[in-house]
Amino acid sequence: MDLKVKQVERVDGLKESFYLPAMFTGFRLTVKHFLKNLFGAQEVVTIQYPEEKRHVSPRWRGRHRLTRRDDGFLKCVACYMCETVCPAKCIHIEAGEHPDMSVEKYPVKFDIDELRCVFCGLCVEACPKQAIRMDTGVIGMAFSNRETFNFTRDLLRDEYQPHENTKYLDSDLPKPKEQQEALPNSKGLPAA
Amino acid sequence: MQILLEILSIPLVQSLLKIVVVILLFAMPLGTLMTLMERKWSAMIQDRVGPNRANAGNFTGNGLLHIAADGLKSIFKEDTMPEGSDRFLFLIAPFFGLIAGVATFAIIPFAAPIGDFKFQIADVEPGLLFIFAITSLSVYGAVLAGASSNSKYALLGGTRASAQMLSYEVFMGLALMGVFMVYGSTRVSDIVDGQNQYWFGSLIPQWGVFTQPLGFLLFTTALIAETKRAPFDAPEGESEIVAGYFLEYSGMRWSAFMLAEYVAVVGVASLITTLFFGGYHVPWLHLWTSAPEWLVRILQVLKFSLFVIFFCWFQIQLRWTVPKFRFDQTMALGWKKLLPLSLINTVATAVIILIFV
Amino acid sequence: METAPLEIQKHEAELQESVDHSSSVMAIEIGPSHPAMHGIVRFTTYVDGELIVDMIPEIGYLHRGFEKESENSKWIQVTPYTDRLNYVSPLLNNIGYAMAVEKLYGVEAPRRAEFTRVIMGEISRITDHMTCLGASAMEVGAFTFFLWFIKAREYLWELVEEVTGARLTTNWTRFGGNATDLPDGFLDALQDRLDKVKDVMDECDRLLTKNKIFIDRVKDIGAISKEDALSFGFTGPMLRACGIPYDIRRSDPYSVYEELDFEIPIGSTGDCFDRYLVRMEEIRQSISIIEQAADKMPVGPIQTLERRVHYPDKKDVYGNIEGLIDHFKMVMEGHRPPAGEAYLPVEGGNGEVGFFVVSDGSGDPVRVRLRPPCFNFVEAMPKMTIGHYIADIVPIFGSINMIGGELDR
Repeated sequence: MDLKVKQVERVDGLKESFYLPAMFTGFRLTVKHFLKNLFGAQEVVTIQYPEEKRHVSPRWRGRHRLTRRDDGFLKCVACYMCETVCPAKCIHIEAGEHPDMSVEKYPVKFDIDELRCVFCGLCVEACPKQAIRMDTGVIGMAFSNRETFNFTRDLLRDEYQPHENTKYLDSDLPKPKEQQEALPNSKGLPAA
Repeated sequence: MQILLEILSIPLVQSLLKIVVVILLFAMPLGTLMTLMERKWSAMIQDRVGPNRANAGNFTGNGLLHIAADGLKSIFKEDTMPEGSDRFLFLIAPFFGLIAGVATFAIIPFAAPIGDFKFQIADVEPGLLFIFAITSLSVYGAVLAGASSNSKYALLGGTRASAQMLSYEVFMGLALMGVFMVYGSTRVSDIVDGQNQYWFGSLIPQWGVFTQPLGFLLFTTALIAETKRAPFDAPEGESEIVAGYFLEYSGMRWSAFMLAEYVAVVGVASLITTLFFGGYHVPWLHLWTSAPEWLVRILQVLKFSLFVIFFCWFQIQLRWTVPKFRFDQTMALGWKKLLPLSLINTVATAVIILIFV
Repeated sequence: METAPLEIQKHEAELQESVDHSSSVMAIEIGPSHPAMHGIVRFTTYVDGELIVDMIPEIGYLHRGFEKESENSKWIQVTPYTDRLNYVSPLLNNIGYAMAVEKLYGVEAPRRAEFTRVIMGEISRITDHMTCLGASAMEVGAFTFFLWFIKAREYLWELVEEVTGARLTTNWTRFGGNATDLPDGFLDALQDRLDKVKDVMDECDRLLTKNKIFIDRVKDIGAISKEDALSFGFTGPMLRACGIPYDIRRSDPYSVYEELDFEIPIGSTGDCFDRYLVRMEEIRQSISIIEQAADKMPVGPIQTLERRVHYPDKKDVYGNIEGLIDHFKMVMEGHRPPAGEAYLPVEGGNGEVGFFVVSDGSGDPVRVRLRPPCFNFVEAMPKMTIGHYIADIVPIFGSINMIGGELDR
């Protein structure tokens, strides 16, 4: 393929040797924007954040959550794959043996240090059970006091629900029937 | 009651009252409003919303409370002073600009006089020469701030400011020569009254902008350069010398610089209105012969204020439209282009007056 | 009074002898924390009045150890790190790294993946140029221009978010393909957004390009000759502004750029004005490339069929034990490219972004080296600035578009 070259045009005419014509053109443009926004904010693109939230893509990688099986128990089998692949090394899992043989292995502890997390999504890709997801659509990570900045989050006690935009809502992710009872605590065995 | 009227008729008391009214009801409120309006209007140009978060309860006034918030913040901020700075000069420097800015309003007439009572603080004979004297005072603010801060950036800003303001004062004076000649006086009230005449019967008012179009352009340019606003804000040069001469200031002293800038914006707008847009005279109002006197005065003040606000807006719009000059380009523009132009303007005006009038 | 460090005093004294003025040389520190220094970089500048007589750039304030950190990561774990190299065009870095590893593997991404890479890469190039132009224009005072460009950039970043799931930390490419395909209806949305960007471009062009004040600020400022540019190792828009039509998309074609038709804009004098115009024109060319690629977009997989390069299909992982074991081995041991080395340059926003990768056949890279384009530009800063005024540092430094993440790695 032959090289197509385009010499850029350096504006250098008579009109450009005066200050006023270009200033006038610019003035016309800015006044147009000014008037449009003065009467009705027609072109304003600002989003008034806390009151008004941006549309987030369904693929947005927000905060993590753990998904659950039909019977409400965690899908996670504590295989450590996400912990291994995590480039920020922010996932900490401890595996435990479940008395129920159909569950066998489950995470006794599943902590994510959200301050270390880089939201790359590799853990979601690595998970063989679709157990960890980043589809909560949570963007804000700002808090007003220091205590809540203790960002090591116990995913087992998770308050986050899938985002309204998520694509995987209905079919693969049934809500637990009795969520409270099925929730295991972070110390040990499931409450049930 | 009688005593009160007698006290009010003392000229000194009258002057003091006028000063208080003009400063507290016109210059300062408009100046502080401009600090907000700069942000709101620039936001509109740039498709943004601008500040609107400061609130008292649920009231935000669409950003109006930011004025109060800014004031409070700068009062409570620490007033820092760099090590090794010249303490006395550093402390007084911010107020030169503010004083000069406010003093401009001394000669601005707001409405036509009623009998002996003038709606003007001082209708002095030198008139505009007073303005030149006062604006040269504001140079000291920038220079002293720059020199006393013990900071290289501030020093550079101070030198730039002094060079720029001193040179633009020259063209400012020269640009006004035409106006002086056309209206035959340096007294402001004479110039304003001179603009109340009409060409072609009562068709076109003899405003300065029509009699002296080039003078108007030159004077506006020089005034904007004098107040160090964009596109002539090389002395502040926020991208290369950070903030220039007031870099080391904080708190209320920094606010004094800001306030001085915006009071100067209002001052520039008032001067342009007075000298080139008929001042307080409402065009074609003389056709309505039965107008009550009080209504005429109100209309005059309104017209004056409207034009002032328009030219404030114009300056802000200009700032957000054009890039800024480099320092040496500002000087080159002044000495190589504006100086010859203003000389030509002066000579041409003189010749025309000599031949035709 | 504070006293300058000894080395600066000494240098100042040396310079003083070389300057035959009655005035004195003053050292002024520009940066590391300074409004015009976009990344973090320090220029110890020696001025005679306002004239720059010498300048010493000092880099390394944003050094995060990308290369060393890569050696301690798995191959795939480097990809998120590449987002943060040139953080205004993260996708171009993603693509560069993925293609370098693909070269090591000896595989190629399928055509659909390549076309989507072209689209996303060009979107990134536009955002890169917009940030650079906007920031440098802002610093010469055209703030409105900057914010209009940022507005346009936002349109494009929303598209990036639709595809990759993040605006900046994209982490989108994988070896032998991409993490995600384009979503439904993306190409229509793309065209819509491109039209908006064109409108903004036109407005900004009218606002600034012919303005005498702006031309005065950038014309003949920071000019560098062809020979000097070559000897400094310039690439990208900076080199093209000097008049050398060197574009890796053409001179060393990668991906599917051979099938796409575009022009290489070149300047003549290599000053800031030429760089500005070249970048403006490149945005237009990129828009045309995206439109062509969208027209030619083939149907097909977005991941190569070579099983050793990427994770097995999710269907296999969830459905059968072989797939699960494959997946497990690949995640736990990492990707294992064959032993060897590869260098692959791509045309980044600033110039040649080259990744040099060395593998010993294990799951960890032995070496990942980045060739950052703006390293050479910063090196040439003294050459470009000496003899100009302090205020000229601003447009010159703006036009080289130094990105701290890329420069200091």
